[in-house]
Amino acid sequence: MPKASMKTIKRRIKSVGSTLQITKAMEMVASSKLRRAKHRAEALRPYFEAHADMLSDIAASKTDFSTVFTAKREIKNRLFIVIAGDRELAGGFNSNVLRLVANYEKEQGSSVPAKIIAIGKRTVDYFRKKEREIIAEYPHFCENIKPGRCADIAGIVTDMFKAGEVDEVLLVYTSYISALRQEPTLIKLLPFDVNNKPRITVGREKQEDDSIKKQEDINYDPTPEAVFDRIIPKMFLSMISCACIDSFASEQSARRNAMESASDNASDMIDKLSLQYNRARQEKITNEINEIVGGANAIS
Amino acid sequence: MTPFKLEIITPDGFLYDGQADSLIVRTTVGDKGILARHEPYAAALGTGKIRVMSGGRTNVAALSSGVIKVGTDKTVILAQSCEWSDRIDKKRAEEAKRLAEERLADPALSAKELAIAEFKLRRALNRLDTAGK
Repeated sequence: MPKASMKTIKRRIKSVGSTLQITKAMEMVASSKLRRAKHRAEALRPYFEAHADMLSDIAASKTDFSTVFTAKREIKNRLFIVIAGDRELAGGFNSNVLRLVANYEKEQGSSVPAKIIAIGKRTVDYFRKKEREIIAEYPHFCENIKPGRCADIAGIVTDMFKAGEVDEVLLVYTSYISALRQEPTLIKLLPFDVNNKPRITVGREKQEDDSIKKQEDINYDPTPEAVFDRIIPKMFLSMISCACIDSFASEQSARRNAMESASDNASDMIDKLSLQYNRARQEKITNEINEIVGGANAIS
Repeated sequence: MTPFKLEIITPDGFLYDGQADSLIVRTTVGDKGILARHEPYAAALGTGKIRVMSGGRTNVAALSSGVIKVGTDKTVILAQSCEWSDRIDKKRAEEAKRLAEERLADPALSAKELAIAEFKLRRALNRLDTAGK
């Protein structure tokens, strides 16, 4: 390392110091946002789980169960609902989840045209750049989700599926598993697989028993299919809300981690620079003493 | 009267979690009363009032769009939104009513937009009606 002057070292320490302040602040903001997201997830969970239970109850109560939502058809059009963040500086958070879409298409053969519902500013930017067909975009959505707007999305999805405009609907988001683990996840929403109970878990590492129990005979008014079709959009509403909150929690957690390591790096750097600075200072003093001593010797 | 366990769940969490003596809900095919030991039953709920009777008191709430499931152990109501009569924001409902009426006056509305505006009007009217009592 070329020897830097004391002045430049001092300037660098100052600049790294202010970066450290920013990353520290961002880290703290992210952790408080994460806490709030967790609270909201708690509130929403019973609603979501009750719907999932009801759907599987209905499906289990009849063997010849079939509605427009469960019927499998040839996939001619695909719809992705993609949830990512609004901002960068969250490590690989955005790119990981967005890459999942491309990977899925590669696996399935990408000849199928796909429509996109983009949630989050980064998602919108990404698919615009790729010139994909975006049918609806919701930037700055996840931080303050409103059930009404999730209901809009759920409505779009169910209508398009019913009208045969899309034959497969996929939800792509990042699942919050723990503070250190967030996993990009892809869930098939439609056609609805009655043997696979939908689940979204926010911060729950354990999985409970998800097997479908045979229920008592329930009297459906007017018909099981009608009730099922009624629940489906509500189910999506709650799934999308859950996924948004989940994704938001993941984003904050990813950002917190990224900022934490950035802060650590900055602290390390300041330590190193301080050491250099002190060495340089010591050297200067030693030189001065040498000069003085040399001068004194010369006089006497 | 024999009480039964009732849960009312909305996206914001539990609105009611406790015992009730009887319950009246508006399903898509008409009003329905539920007492303890009702047969297992499930139905879609439309926009309307729900009445929960417990301990001699009747609480009324405005519900928009949901499902009810009566099981042997408990009764669950899932609602997209549901507010007790004393918690309804009347001003907001008035405003929503006005907006919806304005929308409905527009002759160029598509069938879907019409359905949405109608739903909003019905919801606002239901809220006002429930809050009025």
